[in-house]
Amino acid sequence: MENLNFGGTSGIVVLLTYAGIMLIIGYFAGRGRPNVRSSVRGYFLAGRGLGFVALFFTLYATQYSGNSVIGYAPEAYRSGFVWWQSVMFMIAVIAVYLLFAPRLYVIAKRESFVTPTDWVRHRFRSTRVSILVAILMLWGLANYLLEQLVAMGQGISGLTGNTVPYQIGVIAFVLVMLAYSWMGGMRAVALTDVMQGIALLIGVAVLLFGSLYLIEGDIAGLTQHVVDNAPEKVGVPDGETSVNWLSMIVLIGFGAAVYPHAIQRVYAAKSERTLKRSLAIMAWMPFVTTAVVFVVGIVGIQLFPGLSESSSEQLVGMMANQVAGINVVFYLLMILLFGGVIAAIVSTADSALLSLSSVVSHDLYGRYINPRSSERRQVLVGKLVGIAVIAVLLLIAWNPPTTLYNIFVLKFELIVQIAPAFILGLYWDRLRAGPLFWGMLAGALFAGVWTVIGEEELYGVPAGLLGLGINVAIAVLGSLMTPRVQDDSEAAVPTDAAAG
Amino acid sequence: MDQRRSEHNPVREPIRSPWVWVVMTLIILAGTPLYLPSGVVEPLVFGLPYWVVLSVFFTLAFSAFTSWLCLRKWNLVEQQEEAAVEDGGSTWKI
Repeated sequence: MENLNFGGTSGIVVLLTYAGIMLIIGYFAGRGRPNVRSSVRGYFLAGRGLGFVALFFTLYATQYSGNSVIGYAPEAYRSGFVWWQSVMFMIAVIAVYLLFAPRLYVIAKRESFVTPTDWVRHRFRSTRVSILVAILMLWGLANYLLEQLVAMGQGISGLTGNTVPYQIGVIAFVLVMLAYSWMGGMRAVALTDVMQGIALLIGVAVLLFGSLYLIEGDIAGLTQHVVDNAPEKVGVPDGETSVNWLSMIVLIGFGAAVYPHAIQRVYAAKSERTLKRSLAIMAWMPFVTTAVVFVVGIVGIQLFPGLSESSSEQLVGMMANQVAGINVVFYLLMILLFGGVIAAIVSTADSALLSLSSVVSHDLYGRYINPRSSERRQVLVGKLVGIAVIAVLLLIAWNPPTTLYNIFVLKFELIVQIAPAFILGLYWDRLRAGPLFWGMLAGALFAGVWTVIGEEELYGVPAGLLGLGINVAIAVLGSLMTPRVQDDSEAAVPTDAAAG
Repeated sequence: MDQRRSEHNPVREPIRSPWVWVVMTLIILAGTPLYLPSGVVEPLVFGLPYWVVLSVFFTLAFSAFTSWLCLRKWNLVEQQEEAAVEDGGSTWKI
């Protein structure tokens, strides 16, 4: 992100204030709650006690990362009005929740699930399926976390005018994040998400206000400018682009809904009423987040014409500079914006890290490495693994990729392959572990290899979606061809009718 | 009032209503400019290309429908949970 021209002292004050508030929240989240340290449900799921405010904000702050602001605005700048799709695919995530969350919430509470893999193990009783799901989730989470670390460094150095060097900024905020997560687990993560979600909302509102101020609120003039200077960004998209639009709704809708930290928020809800009310409001949040960022990107076409792909990645920083130069009020508002972006990044990173720790400690360590370990020990292992993973990812983050959006898509290519295990698995009794395993493996390999060799999309359809098609076809056809009677080792548990 | 309403609600789950997904698919397809002639900008509506206004309209419908489904078509254990809370316990059976 481009450095702000107003220097670093006020930026450092904002960051220190944020860090202080997060640590205080973390301290009080864990204080007087011994369960946070000694129980896996207490630490990883806040004892299934997240009320409406905490659940809504943790869903919000986790789903919308810093990339939703600093990565999506350049995308709107480059692709034009067609980026309105980002509003639709964020709503699609909530629509896909409706395919599985109602029933999964009930079963998870009854069976005391901690991780998404618990459902897979409960339903399919297959070690290989459970391990493959865990691996795909860990890959997705690690990549997601890496992206947040990269964005965090860029954001911090941007906000402080490089007064705080990239690496120091990341390490400082990672330590804060680890500290409050260590003290309060999911409860601390959710409560800090309340503060971080509010900061993000204020940040994007300020960015919208500043951007519209720069073009004097003249939307019609903005459209006319784009028509005159970049007509390819304003007309009805061609068939291939529209197919890609539709594909992104499906890919991100299914991919983001089955992210482990997303599923764990379903588990952590205090009640069904809390969960459905939170999701009902989440269905509207794209209009105050990605829609706003979309407008900012379009305004950028008028204000900063002709940017290259890599230069356009700095769009939010450039816009902030321009807005901050208007007067002292805007200067202060832009500080709030950058604080909001940092908060959004940290709130997404802490959720991904906690989820990753839970998969390693509960699904791998507690299940296979040391099955007799106490819950307190599993929690401790999860915390230590989290630190180790962060250390490795930080080493990778020192050389950040140039385009954030590309790695964002890469994550979904693989994570979306676990969707059939949840959505088909919940409702279709005949789905069998064997075909499901081969379907997920084939889908993941296809999507991964296609992406790595840099093959073009097939008429706008991303490799992840093609892989998902192969995956579902193998799982469904294979299950239909499998006799209903199974051997005991991989016999599927009948799907649980929630009301039954 | 909410509580009274939920007491009379039958068990509901979005997945059990196929029409829900047909309507949602139609809304998504209508919001994606697949069916419009490519490259066309005008007429402008509210200062925006007509196809963007069309897509915004159906995106609003997508949000409204999804939100409505959450609140009105999802009721599996709410009554039991509320009853358990009223009884002073936190356990319930399904």
